[in-house]
Amino acid sequence: MAVSSLNSTHEAVHARYEAVDSLYRETRDLRLLGFVLFLISDVVLFTMFIFAYLYLRNSVPNWPPINKDGVQLPRFDVAFACVNSCILFGSGATMHFAMESWKHLKKAEFNLWMIATIVLGIMFLGGQAYEYSHVPITWAGSTLGGSFFTLTGLHGFHVFVGVIYLITLYIQANNGTYTGSKYFGLTAGTLYWHFVDVIWVALFYLFYLM
Amino acid sequence: MAVAVAHAGAVDNRDHIHPEPESFIAKYIFSIDAKVIGVQYMVAGLLFFIISGLLAEVVRTQLLTPQGAIVSNDTYNAVYSLHGSGMVWMTIIPLVTGGFGNYVMPLQIGARDVAFPWLNLVAFWMFPVAGVILFSSFLIGAPDAGWTEYPPISIQGPPGTSLWCVAIFLIGISSTLTGINFLVTILKMRAPGMTFTRMPLFVWAQLATAMLNMVATTALAGALLALFLERQFNVPFYDPGRGGSPLLWQHMFWFYSHPAVYIMILPAFGFISEIIPTFSRKPIFGYKMIAFSSIAIALLGFTVWAHHMFTSGMAPWMQLPFMILTMIIAVPTGIKIFGWTATLWGGKIEFHPAMLFSLGFIVVFTLGGVTGIFLSSVPVDLHWHGTYAVVAHIHYVLFGGSIFGIFAAVYYWWPKITGRMMSNKLGAVHFWMTFISFNATFLPMHWLGLMGMPRRVAQYSDTAPYLLNSFTLVNQFVSISSFVLAASTLVLLYNMASSLIAGKKAPPNPWNARTLEWQISSPPPYYNFKKIPAVLKNPYEFSEPLPYLGLDPSDKDDVHPDPTHHTPVGAHA
Repeated sequence: MAVSSLNSTHEAVHARYEAVDSLYRETRDLRLLGFVLFLISDVVLFTMFIFAYLYLRNSVPNWPPINKDGVQLPRFDVAFACVNSCILFGSGATMHFAMESWKHLKKAEFNLWMIATIVLGIMFLGGQAYEYSHVPITWAGSTLGGSFFTLTGLHGFHVFVGVIYLITLYIQANNGTYTGSKYFGLTAGTLYWHFVDVIWVALFYLFYLM
Repeated sequence: MAVAVAHAGAVDNRDHIHPEPESFIAKYIFSIDAKVIGVQYMVAGLLFFIISGLLAEVVRTQLLTPQGAIVSNDTYNAVYSLHGSGMVWMTIIPLVTGGFGNYVMPLQIGARDVAFPWLNLVAFWMFPVAGVILFSSFLIGAPDAGWTEYPPISIQGPPGTSLWCVAIFLIGISSTLTGINFLVTILKMRAPGMTFTRMPLFVWAQLATAMLNMVATTALAGALLALFLERQFNVPFYDPGRGGSPLLWQHMFWFYSHPAVYIMILPAFGFISEIIPTFSRKPIFGYKMIAFSSIAIALLGFTVWAHHMFTSGMAPWMQLPFMILTMIIAVPTGIKIFGWTATLWGGKIEFHPAMLFSLGFIVVFTLGGVTGIFLSSVPVDLHWHGTYAVVAHIHYVLFGGSIFGIFAAVYYWWPKITGRMMSNKLGAVHFWMTFISFNATFLPMHWLGLMGMPRRVAQYSDTAPYLLNSFTLVNQFVSISSFVLAASTLVLLYNMASSLIAGKKAPPNPWNARTLEWQISSPPPYYNFKKIPAVLKNPYEFSEPLPYLGLDPSDKDDVHPDPTHHTPVGAHA
């Protein structure tokens, strides 16, 4: 019984998704493909800096390297990064729930999950700022610092843009921009937020675990 | 079910239509019509072509005498750096993708516009801004490390090098956005019935180019961002004194810039693939092989970048695979050359200027391809690297390839774009002048290189091992030929101007071509197609009489003519 009601809910969501005029359907198709292609090209940007990091890392015998004053650089604090990562991954989950709530027409829940996502996103940025001010390395001081601050900074910039994006979506959703059928903006926001999450998985491994 | 019907049949006429603007600014300056944007790219590209070409003439004037007559060594370095950057990023790439891509591609697939017209507008305006930033670097000390800007010289270079980074970064973002836009357009907006194997070959070329633009150009953005950060904030990436690696730049730069040569040449292949069958009155030979070889070139293009780095001191084990992969790229390229040649075979050839430039393209591009094979071979490259032989090679493929292709495309699509005919006689004069002076300019550069003349030098010694034992005489011959080459462009400009002022009105289809853009008026109406055509055949059936039977001739407005001829990815009517 539970399963069939679940299926029927999913069918209802699907039916609503399909119940749009042809113009909306066609532009939604185009925008979805365009947005995914944009994310792919963004992945390439991160990949280049990850390549640079690995290249520079492999060009010295020991890692972490010594800085320009000959001081051996320490490893990063994994424990703190773990907590901060969990905050970001948690925001990915809340974003997923927000999207699902919207699809199932549960607007109050949607608002709660969205606010949770935005707050977690800001907390992650705060954690990032705290870490930046406490790590014993500098941007210009070593190749480790150069890669670390550039890559995590690029990612942090993406999170920052994402938070602004989510706040915009929250306002739009409450202004009636989106309906139970027409919500491409929310889909794009969800895709973007998950993309930011996935990039962080790679960065977390590369800087803290590897 | 109702939804399915709506998707397949009763399509309304609102999609991708925006109202025709009334004001001058909305119509010609900030237009969202792909045709206007295409022309904007062409005008801006022509301007930057002239500027970059004049910089090349400064280089050639300097080399008239061994001592270097007219500019200081530092200025000389800046001049050839901006000549290369200007030609690659501000001329060829915007012309072949943004220019002809925007104008011709939506027409050829039977669409009313590209998928994202506003994004198109934004992408266009980044281009002139980037161009102005690039050339304004002369004001504060222009970049002087060549168009490749290798560190550590580029790190220590003048302040304008940072402007160079910003300009190329901007034009890179513009290319990426255009690539995304074109990919979505080609994949999603083809007219009903236009399956992949009924797409014109120019569209295939744009598809492959858009893939490259989308993926490779962001890689360049990363490399440039790192260089910019290193220059402005001392972030160590490339400086070997601080743990960085100059080789890292070369890897990142060429990972983009090798695919970039295919961004520049694949659309030119597309021009040639349209023009040769039209003026041979024969279906193109090996349509599928030519189409798929574009994709093969695009994919292989990502695997060959380190062939620019054989002498850089990178790991020796990388040399052999990169050499072999580079040689393999000659296979799909050769397929195209053979396809075009076989199309000519037994054709009823008309020597229209577009056709002359296409035939010239086949000749000089093949020569450039042959020296490419030589350069890809490690032992030869060790000898040729950094000499004028490389300069000769790149100009044979970029000028003889991309620019010849652009000239051919100008003569071919000019009547469609402007609604006026050009003079064929002046076109022929332009071609022969260009073809002869081109070869006189760049062919001797091979020997200059083989005799040991390095590229990027402002002064040289006179004594050469052969060719009258004089570098000076050969350089003077090359320089004088290059002045003729520059002058030949004036013939084109005069032809354009006189056509715009007093040219004969162009009929819709002056060449009896079969692709969709020729089935509507010249210039096309604002919405391109009042009724989206249904495509029943491939675009090279010259035995079919006009009006072309490959199009559905029914005339009912805004009714989907043949709902069964849907493309797999969903068509827009």
